[in-house]
Amino acid sequence: MQFGIFSVSDVTTDPTTGRTPTEAERIKAMVTIALKAEEVGLDVFATGEHHNPPFVASSPTTMLGYVAARTTDLILSTSTTLITTNDPVKIAEDFAMLQHLADGRVDLMMGRGNTGPVYPWFGQDIRQGIPLALENYNLLHRLWREDVVDWEGRFRTPLQGFTSTPRPLDGVPPFVWHGSIRSPEIAEQAAYYGDGFFHNNIFWPATHTKKLISLYRRRFEHYGHGKGDQAIVGLGGQVFMRRNSQDAVKEFRPYFDNAPVYGGGPSLEEFTRETPLTVGSPQQVIDRTLGFRDSFGHYQRQLFLMDHAGLPLKTVLEQLDILGEEVVPVLRKEFAAGRPAHVPDAPTHSSLLAARGQGAEGTKELS
Amino acid sequence: MTTRSLVTVSAGMSNPSSTRLLADRLTAATERALADRGEDVRTRTVELRDVAHDVMNAMTTAVPTGDLRGILDDLASADGVIAVTPVFNASYSGLFKSFFDVVDPEALDGKPVLVGATGGSPRHSLVLEHALRPLFSHTRSIVAPTGVYAASEDWGAGEAGGRELTERIERAAGQLAAFVAEHESRTRDPYDEPTPFADLMSGLGA
Repeated sequence: MQFGIFSVSDVTTDPTTGRTPTEAERIKAMVTIALKAEEVGLDVFATGEHHNPPFVASSPTTMLGYVAARTTDLILSTSTTLITTNDPVKIAEDFAMLQHLADGRVDLMMGRGNTGPVYPWFGQDIRQGIPLALENYNLLHRLWREDVVDWEGRFRTPLQGFTSTPRPLDGVPPFVWHGSIRSPEIAEQAAYYGDGFFHNNIFWPATHTKKLISLYRRRFEHYGHGKGDQAIVGLGGQVFMRRNSQDAVKEFRPYFDNAPVYGGGPSLEEFTRETPLTVGSPQQVIDRTLGFRDSFGHYQRQLFLMDHAGLPLKTVLEQLDILGEEVVPVLRKEFAAGRPAHVPDAPTHSSLLAARGQGAEGTKELS
Repeated sequence: MTTRSLVTVSAGMSNPSSTRLLADRLTAATERALADRGEDVRTRTVELRDVAHDVMNAMTTAVPTGDLRGILDDLASADGVIAVTPVFNASYSGLFKSFFDVVDPEALDGKPVLVGATGGSPRHSLVLEHALRPLFSHTRSIVAPTGVYAASEDWGAGEAGGRELTERIERAAGQLAAFVAEHESRTRDPYDEPTPFADLMSGLGA
């Protein structure tokens, strides 16, 4: 089981001080947070991708490459990489390059993006979101697995005799997750390829999230990748912790009440009741997170959203200390208990390399 | 005897309200018309005032809090909808519109809808035609040909006032019942029966 954090990279005014970090401060804070994730024993750091203010993460592989150089064990990932508006050829190249620089500590999560104007800014049409995700990923999948690609499709200029360089490290493409909050088509896509499926698990009740994950597990089995309970499932979640739950609620409330995504909406109490948001003691976070397994089955990756809504860096680092010291060690132990032997861990570069040695899918090195 | 489900949505502000009064009469008349057709019917009447804050929560964060989630689920699976609003500033009320703005666009597709409105004077009766009917055309619903508008004077005897309202209610309810009796609930849940990958890729480069 992997544990980590994912960032949306928002530049938000701290409502308690009125101070807004500069882009430079926010970018450096994200790096500090990523390094801290490794220091406290987390497995994964994932960055979002956005192309509009107030977000700074427009160039994920630049940031992840820098983090890669300053870490040794942390898996670098995305949440999400826009498969609709990025050129799949450039995704293939950028992440293969990152994979080499990071010695394989790379995977990525595909997402469609829901900011309307980003599509036309990149020459696309949001109404074609699903077909774009399907066609572009199909090409990306081939570019990492076939040394020379001839291709023609609806959305991109054709390719004749194209080789994406560098080739994936050791001929093993980065593992891919597909993120979706409500689209059965994306769960179907993840199942077809035998890729991972990630639900951000932030705005939705378990009943809804379960429908998508059940669909993914069922179709993963249908396409012959293993039993449904061997499908690779990742979940998000958001937490804010202090030793005493009342202190957590008191400290987090102004951030919740003023956050661009919740402000003026439900109360903190309503939101914690109806969504996976947990504001309270470490034990409450442990209990709520263990509940995800009861709802969705044994899963492979848990990412927490920690650095958002204007929380100052110092607070985020304290949160990571609590997460790493008090929450994740307990979760590792509890999740391991009762986990059937046939339920796999999330694929990593080394596990995929080993699996290829045993005859599973892989690609030839460019000779 | 099949059981048909009706959801009645009333956007009246006061309690009691003439909007609720009209909604109840339309509901009762539709239930009778369905019974005459041999259909069993289960009705849920929703006062939007009771979930007004939840509607705003759903609007701002897409999280339908409280009872709203169950109401949206019932609406999505209903065989027919009765939607009644007071006239505010020459149109449906903001709460009425906000509620239908947080309903999943697919949920009303092909669904029979009876529209009703209330106002202080008969001069706004065309709100049914210029506001409510286009809203439910947009959602691709089947709107009963007769909508029912009740002005204050319609609740009295007036010059054939009461009788005329009753006749309109009966006519509208009969039309809705006919559509409800024919309504085929959505057969395919995309989470239960996803479109196979090969079909998704049809026409795309691969």
